[in-house]
Amino acid sequence: MKREARAGMGLAAMLAAAAAVASLPNLAPKSPPNVPLAFEAAPPPVRPQRVASLNLCTDELALLLASPGQLISVSRLGAEPNETPAAGRARGLARNRGRVTDIVALQPDLVLTSAGDASAATAARRLGFAVVNIVQPRTLADVSANIRQVARALDRVAAGEAVIARMLADLGPVPREMQTALMIGGGGQTIAADGLSAQWLRHAGLQQQQIARGQVNLDQLLAKPPQVLVVSRYYPGQMSAHQDWLAHPAIAALPANVRRIETDGRVWTCGGPLVAAEVARLRALVKR
Amino acid sequence: MMRHLVPALALLLLPLVLASLAWDPTMLRAVWLRDPALARTILVELRLPRTVLAVLIGGALGLGGAAMQGLLRNPLASPDVLGPSTGASLGAVFAGYFLGGGVLAVAAGGMAGALVALALLLALAGPAAGTATLVLAGVAISALAGALVNLALSLAPSPYALYDVMFWLLGSLADRSLPQLAIAAPVIIVAGTLLLRQSRPLDRLALGEDVAETLGVDVARLRWTVVVATGVMVGAGVAVAGSIGFVGLVVPHLVRPLVGNRPGATLLPATLAGAVLLVAADMAVRVPVNGQELKLGVLTALLGAPFFLWLVVKGR
Repeated sequence: MKREARAGMGLAAMLAAAAAVASLPNLAPKSPPNVPLAFEAAPPPVRPQRVASLNLCTDELALLLASPGQLISVSRLGAEPNETPAAGRARGLARNRGRVTDIVALQPDLVLTSAGDASAATAARRLGFAVVNIVQPRTLADVSANIRQVARALDRVAAGEAVIARMLADLGPVPREMQTALMIGGGGQTIAADGLSAQWLRHAGLQQQQIARGQVNLDQLLAKPPQVLVVSRYYPGQMSAHQDWLAHPAIAALPANVRRIETDGRVWTCGGPLVAAEVARLRALVKR
Repeated sequence: MMRHLVPALALLLLPLVLASLAWDPTMLRAVWLRDPALARTILVELRLPRTVLAVLIGGALGLGGAAMQGLLRNPLASPDVLGPSTGASLGAVFAGYFLGGGVLAVAAGGMAGALVALALLLALAGPAAGTATLVLAGVAISALAGALVNLALSLAPSPYALYDVMFWLLGSLADRSLPQLAIAAPVIIVAGTLLLRQSRPLDRLALGEDVAETLGVDVARLRWTVVVATGVMVGAGVAVAGSIGFVGLVVPHLVRPLVGNRPGATLLPATLAGAVLLVAADMAVRVPVNGQELKLGVLTALLGAPFFLWLVVKGR
């Protein structure tokens, strides 16, 4: 496995919903460029009553936006409390493994897919389902656009605007004073300095350091420590060499002027509206 | 030549060790001027365990290979070819990912895995099996253990576990810690010392088991000592650095001609040469190639596999 593949793999694997994912997926945006989705933008004529979502990121949006009973199935990741804070809302819904075959028997009247897994959208359309395929967000504007797109498809436009309003309120303006930051997950995985996660972080007053190849080693970290080390907690307590890395004594031995704060690794996987509240929490921590 | 080999290798090892400790001196100097405590942390918490583990594990692999080749009287015997290394990976993975063990349990699992793989090998191939039987049995055990490592990591509860396949099957010394050194070092040093003391019996075994017995060698005891010491040593190394291939196979062949082809006399120089090779390889992987850092096992395989082929061609 090449390292590039590993860095990008978070997103690919997650979007395929075939495996659980790294906490910091948007390290190397290698997805195809955003394709205009004009013919999908038109909402279905009536409010869909049986909506199935095939992907963690569409799960999160659907769980936030759907009216009670409207959503009938989410991916198994969307119902996994270790993967998303929205999992609590998925109680009682049918779980799928991200494949169209899993939901055919449920006879959904709308299928939500993510552009990271093109085959799911294609397969669902071929079977005659109405499909809304959201792009992988690269900017905060993309995040709002995705919310609007799903809200319109669900005939829940007002709910969509409410979610966006809350998101923007949580987010606030980019603070004037910025501190250098390094967001690290297991194994030293980090985020791109110009990626979506870094854009979110800026609203907390944190400027992500530029790290080549999306992974930092301890030599680099100690040689050039950031002002704030943002440690992503994701599936804590489970053994892996990745998690072990975070427990290396050299990280504990960083100078006292390097602040260490923890972040909920789950929200960064999709980088959707759930990040906003986490950013507000981080901003409050950083200000203190 | 023979007399000077050990001091020459030691003289070669010393500057390599210093270079590994002081890797990227401009960066170290800059950090030192800014924050001496931080530079000290880099040296003590990162460079020291990495370098000492490279010396110990390289030495253990060279020594283990030389001892196995001497015991089995087979030029293709070595921990990495015949299964103990992969067996150790499997044991470590099982202990760590499924039994929820800490560093100690992972080390114990690694040692147990290596010993089971060795025991299986000897049970399958017999103590003095022909080359073909031994290598077939070893390759089968190695492949099976490798597949089981993959399977175990696919089924492990942690979503990160599958990323670790590369670490367990190719090995790495990057970002190792002092606690890991503290676990591996005593085991490798004790087992290694025990193995080095088998030099004379191994030389006598080269004359055949019966002759060795009449010369006062307890062959059964020798066999057990070599098997257990090699297994424990390799297992402890794999548990902290993954299974690093080809060092154990190649190194004894490099030094054996220089010591008059005596298996016992190969042990000490093979230990030193293994350490030299691994410290050098671990420095080489820190130089990015095409923007990427190579994995240690990839580099040792790139060096070792052609050598393996050459052995095969020469033996035809």
